[in-house]
Amino acid sequence: MKKTLLFPAILLAFIFGFPLLFLLLLSFGQQWPYPSILPLHWSEETWQKIAWEKRIGNGLGLSLLISLSVGSIASILSLLLAKAVAYSPNQRWWLGGAYLLYLVSPVVLAASWQFYFLRLGWAGQPLGVWLAQFFITLPFGVIFFNSFWNEQQRSLEHLVATLGGTPWQTFWRVSFPLARGPLLICFFQSFLISWFEYGLTALIGVGKVQTLPLMVYQFIGEANIFYAALASCLLLIPPLLLLWFNRRFVFIER
Amino acid sequence: MFRRASLLVYLLLCIVPLLLGLGYVLAYSFGLIGLLNHGFTTAHWRAVLLDKTFWQSLGYSLYIALACMSIVVVVSAALLAGFRKNLTQGFLSAFIYLPLTLPAIVAAFVCFQLWSKSGLISRMVYQVGWIANLDQFPEWINDAWGLGIIFTHTFMATPFFTLLFLQVYEREKIQRLEQLAFTLGATPRQAWLKVTAPILWRKSFFSILLYLVFVMGAYETPLLLGRQSPEMIAPLIIRKLQKFNLLDMPQAYVISAAYLLLLMGFGGLVFSKIKTRMA
Amino acid sequence: MEKLLIIKSLSKKFGVENVLHELDLSLAEGQVLSILGRSGSGKTTLLKIIAGLETLEQGQIFLNQELLNTWPPQRRNILYLYQEALLFPHLNVVENIAFGLRLRRMPSAEIEQKTAQMLEELGLSEQAQKMPDELSGGQRQRVAFGRALIVNPRVLLLDEPFGALDAQTRQQMQVLFKRLAQAHRITAIFVTHDLKEALLMGDEMATLDHGQLTVYPTKTAFIEDAATGVQAELAFWKNLVITDPTAH
Repeated sequence: MKKTLLFPAILLAFIFGFPLLFLLLLSFGQQWPYPSILPLHWSEETWQKIAWEKRIGNGLGLSLLISLSVGSIASILSLLLAKAVAYSPNQRWWLGGAYLLYLVSPVVLAASWQFYFLRLGWAGQPLGVWLAQFFITLPFGVIFFNSFWNEQQRSLEHLVATLGGTPWQTFWRVSFPLARGPLLICFFQSFLISWFEYGLTALIGVGKVQTLPLMVYQFIGEANIFYAALASCLLLIPPLLLLWFNRRFVFIER
Repeated sequence: MFRRASLLVYLLLCIVPLLLGLGYVLAYSFGLIGLLNHGFTTAHWRAVLLDKTFWQSLGYSLYIALACMSIVVVVSAALLAGFRKNLTQGFLSAFIYLPLTLPAIVAAFVCFQLWSKSGLISRMVYQVGWIANLDQFPEWINDAWGLGIIFTHTFMATPFFTLLFLQVYEREKIQRLEQLAFTLGATPRQAWLKVTAPILWRKSFFSILLYLVFVMGAYETPLLLGRQSPEMIAPLIIRKLQKFNLLDMPQAYVISAAYLLLLMGFGGLVFSKIKTRMA
Repeated sequence: MEKLLIIKSLSKKFGVENVLHELDLSLAEGQVLSILGRSGSGKTTLLKIIAGLETLEQGQIFLNQELLNTWPPQRRNILYLYQEALLFPHLNVVENIAFGLRLRRMPSAEIEQKTAQMLEELGLSEQAQKMPDELSGGQRQRVAFGRALIVNPRVLLLDEPFGALDAQTRQQMQVLFKRLAQAHRITAIFVTHDLKEALLMGDEMATLDHGQLTVYPTKTAFIEDAATGVQAELAFWKNLVITDPTAH
């Protein structure tokens, strides 16, 4: 019975993988006039541009810097904040705030924050973009870790306390070792939220902070589909690497 | 002590930004701040609420999200029903994750290169001889029905919900319940409709709702694949903000405020329902 | 006999509900007090208050004549054992048992020696390197005992510790606990809803019902009180008539 499903399964796999293949092809293409199905010329020239076209290299570096730092700081901080929220008697209200921030379209949030960022002189600065992205990844982390700080965790903490452990010892010897796995997942998810973000970055960065997603959009605007495809490929490398290591880094139940 | 400090930090980093944003948007929308504003007025709210642009945009966003999620739920359930074995082992179990690696802007770009009049599909149809020039190819991008937007979000969300359903299927031990139904005399179709589907629906309802709200607030996809009328809510706000027509600014903030308040009301409703059910 | 643990008129409310009401209790060193109580009788709350994990509204708790009320759990050296073993999932058996000693920054050599001895006593030497999820229910509970006993607690509080085990393992654990209690001169409060277990484990007997504690002067008094249910149980066995249909 399973044999008959082989062809449909291959077809499905092809559909799911097609965008990647298509982008890779385009990034090596050079001329693609209608109605030819494939580009007329192939060359690795676009890829070589990463090395000497400064703006692609800069965009890549800036994106990596922002997303890695946002991801790591937001996930560690949210682990700690989530504990206070989860153990609070008013957990529902606190968590409601995080859910709301998580639900609102980031670009609309950016619109509501733009004034403050302009006033403080952070708009158009990498620091401003960093902060804005931090503000939208932190609630995600708090929601993510809310289920980590459950009854079981609290009982373990009580147990350590009766065994004579200080709160500090409890954290380093029990909570943190147990949180290591979830922390890694939260880091990668936060990293991806930041790495993928377009609208918020565009608005707070006023177009001056050129991260990779902004470059994709800019190349599309310049009708340079080969460059856009290349920048897209670069955007896909981290999530693909994460997928290679562990599927749980890319898929979690929300 | 430490907990209180943590809550304070949480307040500062999560709640205060939200309130500051909401405060600014409300103040601007009521004419309390802003370049051309002169004190409290409800004129901007009246202008927005009485004009059909806002309602159309809201309805259009809801339509896109509902259309997208209906397709996603049906297709994901069908994939689970037909390919459960392939999804847990073998190559398909790896390939299904690939669309999850796509940022919205890249997915929209691919969609454009596929379905636009000069896109790959159009070229293939031309080569087959179904159309004589690209103008005969139907308008699937920047169209009034938002087909491109729906396609893109469906493509990104379907693997997610297929995997979610698979997870629910395994966690809730649905297979055993199906077998129980069989022993009670159910046909496979009955077992699916009366046991599997209702459980999947109930257990993933919250996730479906969340995703629906996500799609409603989409920005990148309608920016590349949509048109100005009708327009989804997020691009409408940003377009009104960036038109540099100072008279449009308060309206942009009215729409933002309405959107935020709507979400708050909706969130509060869902939240109270869900939590009371759990308690 | 000098009393080690003394509790005077302890009360606790959750909202308007009286969970524990004017409760008095005393326990001499080396004695085990069995408290018979159903779920919802307030037994878990009582134990958590004694361990310092829950606050009390009114009353006093003395340990060795010192007032404990405001002491944090870390200072009390009173251990609370749950129904589930609650082993640290990231540590193996040895490290779970050694945990309390590591908190006290004891020299490694001493820790090794003490844990080895404890493992031996519990019959767990073979399991030393295993992780918690590789153990059976009984083994897990034994590790939890070892982890508690190794720090020489002043008082041990047991909250239905064998409730999740099957009948046979449960019996083995009762025997083991009895042996350990005598060998280490353990002072303990043992809460259970199982009548037989309460009688087997306790030197002294009490019942807890809707927040009211009744302490019995002797085991005989406990058995004779109709409220404990012992009489009903005895009557059941005495009046049991087997009608065997195959005998006809």
